[in-house]
Order: sequence, then structure tokens, then C-alpha cells
Amino acid sequence: MEKELTMPKLRPEMKDGVLCAWLKEEGDMVTAGEPLFEIETDKVVNQIEATESGVLKKQLFEEGDTVDVEAPVAILETK
Amino acid sequence: MRTIVNSSHDPFYNQAFEEFVFQTFPEDDLFFLWQNSPAVVVGCYQNICREVSVPALRRLGIPIVRRSSGGGTVYHDLGNVNYTFLVKRDGPVDYDRCLMPMVEALNAIGVPARKNRSCDIAIGEQKISGSAQRVSGGRILQHGTLLFQSDLTALDQITTHHKNDCIQSKGIASAICPVTNIRAHLTQDMTLDAFQARLLAQLVPMDAQPLTLTAAQEEAVRRLRDEKYRSWAWTWGKTPAFQYEKEGLFAGVPIRVTYAAKKGILSDVSVDCAALDSKDAARLLEGARLDPEGLAAVCHTLAGEQGDMLLEYLL
Repeated sequence: MEKELTMPKLRPEMKDGVLCAWLKEEGDMVTAGEPLFEIETDKVVNQIEATESGVLKKQLFEEGDTVDVEAPVAILETK
Repeated sequence: MRTIVNSSHDPFYNQAFEEFVFQTFPEDDLFFLWQNSPAVVVGCYQNICREVSVPALRRLGIPIVRRSSGGGTVYHDLGNVNYTFLVKRDGPVDYDRCLMPMVEALNAIGVPARKNRSCDIAIGEQKISGSAQRVSGGRILQHGTLLFQSDLTALDQITTHHKNDCIQSKGIASAICPVTNIRAHLTQDMTLDAFQARLLAQLVPMDAQPLTLTAAQEEAVRRLRDEKYRSWAWTWGKTPAFQYEKEGLFAGVPIRVTYAAKKGILSDVSVDCAALDSKDAARLLEGARLDPEGLAAVCHTLAGEQGDMLLEYLL
């Protein structure tokens, strides 16, 4: 099953965040709780962890891109 | 809340110390103060070349350190005091949970400070403190500067006068704010040592036994310093991809340098200048690392005694 991971809203006033780094490449296995990417907003660097285990199927943005809150960032193939 | 002692002034060690403690003591809420000898400290995802003049810092012998939190570029010296909170995360990302106790502690020891913008502390309209966070594994690292008696002339020269507009880059840019030193605003003067002691006493209960690292843990911090914070891969390899273009006069004739850099590696290099062998330049720079010492060596090969001047056109 495909599952989307979105840009989280970390604070009520947050509108977007910078996707700073991918910590996994496409095709990598990811276990739930493992950090998948890092975002920065308002001087906070935040590690975003996978909510489920699976394979990182698609990175939807490049490092350095600004992404709107709740927009899909990654597609995870879960069992 | 407990404290942990770190008396090192080595800016690379201190970044490693903070990361090590963040990862090693997940059960404790910690607060500690620390100081760096003169250094430029950049945010986790900043483009160093855009924020400061790398050749100027190289001449001054001031190191550049990349930290693990977000935000902008700051200059540290021994007139500045840094603080770090390491706490559990509960709820949305929020600065006030650590920022407000800091403002209250400053007020309690006679500093007329107030919160400004989302995560600064100011006296009047002038900034005395900036802060940034890293959130990982359900824990928050929040740290900040406290300008007590810093060299504000040096700070201004280094962090505001050398923004590099030759660079097209993603990544996080710094904000520029007017700053002041805390010591200039005290009704009753105190030394930097007294300031630190009184601040610590406000934020950590007197009866809480301070943590200290064992010799083996200190060794692990030094290893992290050498393998991560002093490494090219961390400091320069993490530079966001950018396009560079700079024109001017070198050895009395026009020069134009362009290149692209991705993951800290130069490509599409062009050095157009009648005083230099452009083919040699492109050959030596293509695929070179974005590294001040390595590029300085190439510049000396290409331009001999004028190598340092040439470096000004490369970074």
C-alpha cells in the first residue's frame, strides 16, 4: 500500500517549511520511528520520522525546496 | 533541571559536547552555559559563502563551525555566553517554554531584557540574544547566545558587511539585527563570571548535583569533534547547491569567475582573465572541493604571490 508523508504543521502559525535533507534514498528500507527527512522552519531543525515501516518509494521534493504545510513530501510503500 | 559542566572554549568540541549530551542523557532536563573562543557559527543548512567572507576569516584565523540547529550565522567570542536547554518535547514546537524562563532569569539578576520576535531577547530594540532549536527523537535542544561584553565591531564586520551577492542558492539566509551588550545596560555592574554564576543559580536549583562526563565520555566527545564537526563533509559538504558568479579586477585586468557547486563539489568552472591561464584554472578547479585551504593552494599554483587575491574571486 502507498502512504504519503506530508510536511507537518509544527506550530499553529506555520505556513511552510524548507525540506533540508533526505536521510533516506529512494528504494531504502525504513522502519517506523526512523528519521526520514529533516525540515527547517523558524530556526528549528526538525527530524521527521517514518510513521510506518516500508520502502521509500518516491522523494517528491529536492533538498532546499520550500514546501507548504500538509503537502505530500514522500511516498512510502508499506505492506 | 540539572546542569553539566563544560569549561572548554574550543568551538568544535563544544558543538560535539552539546550533541553528545543531547543523545546520552535522554532522561534528564539539562541547562548549561558555555563559551567559544572567536568563531563564526553557522546554521545547519546555511550557505557559508553567502553569509561571510571566507577569505577574510581565513586571514584572521577565525574558524567556521556548522551547528546542528537551524537559523542564521553568529559570531562568538569570549565576551559572549551561550546557553543550552535539553528538554523533553511536549506538544507543538515552541520557543517560549525555554525562552521565557531565560528572560525571567535575566530580569531577576538586573538585566532589563524582554522577548523580541519569536526567539530573540532584546534590551529596548537592540538584540542581546538569538536562539535556535533542533528537535529529534521526542527531545528539544534549544540554545542561544547572550552578548555580555562581546567585540561588537568585530561581530558587525564579520556577520553583516560581507554578505556575498555572487551566489544564487537555496538554503537558510540570516537576519541582520542591531545588537548591544548586556553589560552596558546594568544598573549595578558585574563581571562575566558573576553574570554566569547568577544566571545558572536562577535556572538550576542549588541542590541539584551537576553532571560531569567521565574520561571515556570526554574521549567520545573528542572523537565526535574530529570525525564530524571538524570534517569537511559536515562543514562544507552540507552546503546547499548554488550557482556562483563574480566579476572584478585582478592584477589590473578584468576577471570573471563562474561555477556551480553541489554537495560541496565545484563543476562548470570558468575563470576568464587575461592575467591567468584559463585552461589550467578550469582543469585544477573542476571537481575541486569547496574548501578554503584547498582552493587557496590552487590559487597559489595559478597566481603565485597573488594567490590570496585570486581566492577573493573564488569564494
